[in-house]
Amino acid sequence: MSGRAIAGAFLGLSLGLQACSSLQASSSGSAPQKLVITGSSTVAPVASEIAKRYEAQNPQVRIDVQTGGSSRGIADIRQQVADIGMVSRAAKPEDQGLNFHTIAKDGVVVIVHRDNPIQRLTRQQITDIYTDKLNNWQDAGGKSQAITVVNKAEGRSTLEVFTKHFQLKSSQIKADVVIGDNEQGIKTVAGNPLAIGYVSVGAAKVNVEQGTPIKVLPLEGVQATPQTVQDGSFPLSRPLNLVTQGPLNPQQQKFIDFAQSSQVKDIVQEQSLVPVQE
Amino acid sequence: MVRRLAIPFGKEQGATLMVWLVALGITVLFLWLLSDVIWQGGQAINGAFLTQAPIKAGLEGGIAPILVSTGLVLGVCMGVSLPLGLGTALFLTEFSPQRSHQAIRLSLDILAGVPSIVFGLFGNAFFSKVLGLGFSILSGGLTLACMVLPILIRSIQVGLVNVPHEYRQAAAALGLSRLGTLKTLILPAALPGIAVGILLGIGRAIAETAALIFTSGYVDRMPTSLLDSGRVLSIHIFDLAMNIPGGEQNAYGTALVLVILLIVINTLVSWFAERFRQSKLQIL
Repeated sequence: MSGRAIAGAFLGLSLGLQACSSLQASSSGSAPQKLVITGSSTVAPVASEIAKRYEAQNPQVRIDVQTGGSSRGIADIRQQVADIGMVSRAAKPEDQGLNFHTIAKDGVVVIVHRDNPIQRLTRQQITDIYTDKLNNWQDAGGKSQAITVVNKAEGRSTLEVFTKHFQLKSSQIKADVVIGDNEQGIKTVAGNPLAIGYVSVGAAKVNVEQGTPIKVLPLEGVQATPQTVQDGSFPLSRPLNLVTQGPLNPQQQKFIDFAQSSQVKDIVQEQSLVPVQE
Repeated sequence: MVRRLAIPFGKEQGATLMVWLVALGITVLFLWLLSDVIWQGGQAINGAFLTQAPIKAGLEGGIAPILVSTGLVLGVCMGVSLPLGLGTALFLTEFSPQRSHQAIRLSLDILAGVPSIVFGLFGNAFFSKVLGLGFSILSGGLTLACMVLPILIRSIQVGLVNVPHEYRQAAAALGLSRLGTLKTLILPAALPGIAVGILLGIGRAIAETAALIFTSGYVDRMPTSLLDSGRVLSIHIFDLAMNIPGGEQNAYGTALVLVILLIVINTLVSWFAERFRQSKLQIL
């Protein structure tokens, strides 16, 4: 009885409010155009900042960025609940009918201390180090000292990229140190000559330039630079995409063009990502 | 009394010590957590942090729009759930037959234990999509209201049941109407219980992330109406800590603001409840 009463009250209230809102919308003649973007929580902060700059240039447009994960971005686009989706991976075969528009790349590099004589590690060696099968630098061509494995905390997008590339489960990784963000990872490796870790390519580049004692290892023969990440030759990277379905309407087209233009390059770099913008 | 004295002195002391240690452990844990947040977040907080909008996804700037959204979501939540909760609790304790209680109590207890993400998905499906409220402060607040209602009802119910039955009999003997008895006697006497309910409700609502990410949303713009999407403090903390490289410092700062807000609200509600009770019932 009371449950039904509550439900009824809710329904009444909400319907009333909804009526008010639709009235309000119709009475104000030039309602702002609204663009809804949903999806990946990795893309959301960048997209949100790009949207703010876009709004500043186009005051008649309002862009709402919502998160919930890449799969939500795809689902919302398929159901046409959102105008644009956000997906932090490359297109898969099951994504047919969807258009992917890359706005940035997220590269992950393996780093060691500058004083570590190691120049390169093979894919197998990195896998073995992270699963604790290989735990002395001597076995990888270095000094006879134990390896300190630095891993990212659960839920980090860099961890996802890393484990996916090396086909590891995060439960298989035996870490000595677990860190949160890139800066913490760089500090940990810079302060420990025996450590190995991985951080985002943008953060590593800035720190190498600043003279932080870290060394970026090449991966499968490819040096990690923003250029190799950008052109896709560096293997440990993923694209951050905006996703749409069907032909673009002018509003979508304009925003996607803006997000891929050089006007937002600094925003992408601020978030330790690699810009694809010229 | 004699029996207690007969227990060997050492054993008694041991038990006392253990109880003290447990209490101490809990306090230390809480203080540790609090000092960690204060230590790490203290530097982030200043006047600008509280009055500016976030810049660079929260790496710079402040949390002003997020504070406002949090306040609005909380306001909608309590504004809807408090009258409904109070009404339901009154109905259950004062007006309905005892037999129906078991089933209602059971369903309320089960509802209180439902994970918040379930409420979030429900809110997204019902308020955002079916009722067309979209990602808005309103659908977030209404979802939270559904979530805190069971807790609110149960605590108010306990408060009402604890009012001695003699009060009601005395009021009836004096010829007071049921409504009059409620207003002047039972509600003021049950106020501590109601206050506890409000506090638990606010505590659960203000810390909520999962139920709000799909309802009130992620937009960190200053809200201009209840139909705007607005990011709350807990979602901002989660986003800074998990998705923004270098966002830790401001995540701690925001967490500290959240903790301070919670302490202030707790103190205010307790203080008002006590004052109101005393002004209504001098005899107690």
